[in-house]
Amino acid sequence: MPPSRYPVWVSVLSILGARFTSFAPPLLRSGVVAKVSIAQHILAANEVVAEEIRQMLTQRGIRTINVMSSPGAGKTTLLEKTIERLQGKLGIGVIDGDIETTADADRIEAAGAADAIQINTRGACHLEAHMVRAALSEIDLSHVGLLFIENIGNLVCPSSWDLGEDTRVVVVSTSEGDDKPAKYPHMFATSQVMIVNKLDLLPYVDYDLEKVKEHALTINPHLRIFEVSCRTGAGLDAWCEWLMAFARGNAEVARKIVQEV
Amino acid sequence: MHELAIAQSIVDVVETRATECNAARVKSVRLQIGEASGVVADSLSFCFEMLTSFDPVLAGAQLSIDVMPHRARCRHCATEFAITDFVARCPTCDEWTNEILSGTELQILDMEFDAS
Repeated sequence: MPPSRYPVWVSVLSILGARFTSFAPPLLRSGVVAKVSIAQHILAANEVVAEEIRQMLTQRGIRTINVMSSPGAGKTTLLEKTIERLQGKLGIGVIDGDIETTADADRIEAAGAADAIQINTRGACHLEAHMVRAALSEIDLSHVGLLFIENIGNLVCPSSWDLGEDTRVVVVSTSEGDDKPAKYPHMFATSQVMIVNKLDLLPYVDYDLEKVKEHALTINPHLRIFEVSCRTGAGLDAWCEWLMAFARGNAEVARKIVQEV
Repeated sequence: MHELAIAQSIVDVVETRATECNAARVKSVRLQIGEASGVVADSLSFCFEMLTSFDPVLAGAQLSIDVMPHRARCRHCATEFAITDFVARCPTCDEWTNEILSGTELQILDMEFDAS
């Protein structure tokens, strides 16, 4: 408590003043502590923009995926391989988030994306909805049916920000240790799909694939899991089939494909 | 470090409300943060203090955080239970389908201020 500028009797008067404001001397009125309700979600401003993005993209018939992972799990490579495989079948747009450089958007464009745009956060560890809105004003969506938002490589912060996506995909890889779902549960609890990449490295690393899947499903029993190697192409057909169904908005077909995997 | 961005969002909301209320000085801000919201309360308090320290209206405002436990109610047997490490399995019947009761909150409840 900071020391009061007034003697005790003034404090008593001030309490009375709070109850009977008409009796409060003008000097004390300004000292009254008032309480006001706010009752607002901390990220309400972000949620409003995210909802605006979702509505705009839905109206244009574009489905959107927020792709998240730790740095180096293979998000960009996964997108490159996906774009190559779906060439001529599905127009894919990519909003690429990175702290610095346009290297990823360049790779994505070279792979044949309908359009790709880079967001540089200049230090921020996650994308926020207003950054995506700004990128959307620059990207050409006329040939896009499926939009990927590649988030900053980070398994913590991106999971708290809604970017207006329809679904969230988290990518993990066999080279980064099999404790990721257990260590970063919020990311796995808020994603709908998990991709385990770098399957080709399994013989060379101490990675317990079954443990990873079990942990992830314990945290999120509804998680859809794809096991892939972007290097050899293993498992990418199932992923791309699911994407086609997802882009068509055909949840029925997508579910069937996952069950067959 | 996304607590800094979260703290900035709180400051934005509180500043707007303080202006609406003609507040001379904000004394305290009360939050509800869920255990499973992905936000670390200590980091958040540190970032809030850092962001408000040079603001004439917000400097010195106390941030009080009610940490909400992660709890669920089983849809099969209605048992209410604490969720540990995001594993939401009912301890009574082992079922996974449940309704989350608390723990995901990221809410600003209210604030106290000196009227001007």
